[in-house]
Parts: sequence; C-alpha cells; structure tokens
Amino acid sequence: MTEIWQTLVTYLQFPFVQYALIVGLLVALCSSLLGVTLVLKRFSFIGDGLSHVAFGAMAVAGLLGVSNDMTVVLPVTVLSAVLLLRTGQNTKIKGDAAIAMISVGALAIGYLLMNLFPKSSNITTDVCTTLFGSYSILTLTLSDVILCGVMALIVITVFLLFYHKIFAITFDENFANATGVKANVYNLLIAVITAMIIVLAMNFVGSLLISALIIFPALSAMRVFKTFRSVIICSAVISVFCSAFGILFSIVIDTPVGPTIVAADILIFFIFSLISFFTGRSTKA
Amino acid sequence: MKKMNLILTLILTAAVLSACGTKSQAAAENPDSAVTAETVGNASESEEETVIPRSPDADPNADVDLTTLTSNMVYAQVADMMYTPEKYTGKVIKAKGLFSVYHDEAQDKNYYAVLIQDATACCAQGIEFIWKGDHAYPDEYPEIGKEITVMGTFNTYEEDGATYTQLLDADLTVNS
Repeated sequence: MTEIWQTLVTYLQFPFVQYALIVGLLVALCSSLLGVTLVLKRFSFIGDGLSHVAFGAMAVAGLLGVSNDMTVVLPVTVLSAVLLLRTGQNTKIKGDAAIAMISVGALAIGYLLMNLFPKSSNITTDVCTTLFGSYSILTLTLSDVILCGVMALIVITVFLLFYHKIFAITFDENFANATGVKANVYNLLIAVITAMIIVLAMNFVGSLLISALIIFPALSAMRVFKTFRSVIICSAVISVFCSAFGILFSIVIDTPVGPTIVAADILIFFIFSLISFFTGRSTKA
Repeated sequence: MKKMNLILTLILTAAVLSACGTKSQAAAENPDSAVTAETVGNASESEEETVIPRSPDADPNADVDLTTLTSNMVYAQVADMMYTPEKYTGKVIKAKGLFSVYHDEAQDKNYYAVLIQDATACCAQGIEFIWKGDHAYPDEYPEIGKEITVMGTFNTYEEDGATYTQLLDADLTVNS
C-alpha cells in the first residue's frame, strides 16, 4: 500500500498527469451538468452519436487536406446537435432513431474514409485514440488545459445563469413555451454547448468516455435523489470523483484510462442502485 | 436578452480558442508508432517545465528512466519527449522495448529503434537510437523483436525538412 502511495505521489509530479487530472475533472463536471438534462430529455445517446459525427467529420477533414480539422469538425458537430435536439418530437424520425442512424452512419463513413485515405501509417492508433481515448488524456499540453478551462467556465456560467429556464424546458417544453420561455432558443443553446463539449472531450478522452460521463453520473444520482437540483449536484460529485479515481487508478495500476473511469462510473451506479433498492428512493429516468 | 448576448460572445470566444488549440490536440491524438517519430515541439510551453520528475527506483545514471515507469506513464513520457524535444535534449534516457529496424530504400540507410508497447498494444511508440561504437547489421545486432534496453543521450536532427529524435551514443543490452 505504501509502495502504491509512493508511486502515486511520484507520478503526480509529472506535468502531463496534472494536466490529465485537471482536464478530466473539468470535462467530467461539464458533462455531468449537461448529462442530467440530456438524460431527462431522452437524449442519453447523444454523446455517442455526436462524437461519432465528429469522428466522421475528422476523417472528411483529413480527406480534404484541411490543416486545422477543427474548422470542419466543430461546425459539422454543432449542426448535427442542433438538428437532433431542435427537431424535438415533431419529426418523422424520432430522436433516438435519428441519433442511432447518425451515430452508426458517421462511424462507418469515418472509418471507411480513414482506411481509404489514411492520414498516417498507423490507422489502428488513430481509431483507438479517437474512439476509445486510449492514452490521449495523458498527452495533453498546457494550451489544451487552458482551452478546457475556458470551456468549463462557459458551461458552468450558462448553467448557473439559465438554471430555471433549463429546468423548465427539460421537463415540459410545451408548458415552458406557454409561460413565455423561448424553448427553441434554449434548446439551441444546449445543443451548441453539448456539441462543443463533446468535440473537446472526444479529443481529450475519446467518445467512449464522454458518453459514459453523460449517462452514468446522472442515472446514478437519479437512483437516490428526487429533485432536479439534488440530482445535478450529486451527478457532478459522482462524475468528478469517478474521473479522479479512474485517472489515478489507471496510471498506478496500469489500465487504460478511459475504460477505467467508465468502470468506476458503472460501480457507483450499482452501489446507488443498491441504496435505492434498500431505501426505496428513486427517480424515473 | 443581455444574458443571451453574453453567452453567445463567450461561445464564439471558445470556438475561436478551440480552433487555435487543435494543432497540439491533433499531435496528441496521433503519437504514431513510426520508428522515427516526427517531433511537434512547442518551445514556449516547454520552457516552463525544465525539471523532469524521477521515480525513486530510477537508474541514477539516467535523467529519464522509462524502465521504472508503468506503461501508461511510459506512453505519456515518450509522447512528451516527441512533442517537446527541446526539454529533453542532452538528457540521458533509458528505455526498454523491442528491437526494431526501418530500412530507408531511398537513402539505403538503416534506422534502429526500441519499440515500446503500451498495455493494450495498440499505441506502440518507437525511439531511434545510435549504438555506441561500430557494429555491423545484422551480424552484431539483436534479432528483430528481441527485448532490449538502451541508454543514450537524447538529441534531435533535421532530415528532409522534418525534425526527428534519437538517442546518441547508446548502450545496448539484450534482455534475457
């Protein structure tokens, strides 16, 4: 135990481990805030869908020879998010089907393009890193950390400023509209921020992790807490705790970072489910 | 409405920032397994970080001993060496991995490297080295894929307009 602690203390001195912790915690916090709203609006799978869209857009940017692929990836992902979240329930293809369709479609086209027009000699690494995060969170630079800090500041600011409006449109858009809340405008805002967080988080931790960060903390919190506010606070605490635990555990015990964080989230979900079972507390998701 | 304007301004600022930050992200996404990884260093960032932390059981003769780190840390440390090589230039690096050779047909030249696998074996990284003394290939070199330990001085060099990294005057040990 002492040896593990000593190893952890040594590794925490490395700048890239400090960067990973900061970015991991910020991404976890932001995604958990958005996660509750997305889960309650029945858009749990949007993280996965949008990150696959970003993956496909990245492959297209590579094909087009765009030096800065974010100029393609960000607009495409934001547009997809807007289309998915704004169309709501009054469409021929419902939300879950639209997300599933875009998700697998973009993934297939992206992988196809990456194979036909590879950007580098190692496609396995490209795909592994983009989809599963692999070790990319341990290779961040100071500019990545600053960028993530700015993004986190924006998400938290938006959430605090529009907390009541987000609450209203999360539970009943029609009622919110009737009471004068411009639901479409706030849906657009949520869509844009969701897309930006997902694009950034995908670069940092991969699409597998961002999906889990959106879904698990919110669902775990809903097992035990009943009010919107308490679910959001609990979700943020769970998400940040699991990310910190996952990052530290993985660097010491030598497991892949992203999947370790997801495993921690799953464990917490089961613990909260047990608490819910024995105490009879739960909120329907 | 003022709130919305403020938020839109913040989002636009973030969008501009995210576009600026992608070169380093792109580099981070793809630490290629090519034997001689091209470096993408950023001098201004690396100047802030001059002290390289060491593991307590690290070889005292090496400034960076990769053999005592977990594979996650090795991956991150090697990536850092590729992105910010100026931080490591002149430092003695010790690494363990599989012996690998890349033959450049155009120049009829061999490049020798130690290939470091990660835990999932999907994101291997190679460090080129120049073995101290005169050695004939293949007679005196280990078999390709044999586990070796090399210790040499970190250096960068330009070739065909690109910057590459290597370990100079390296000691090579074949692990049993």
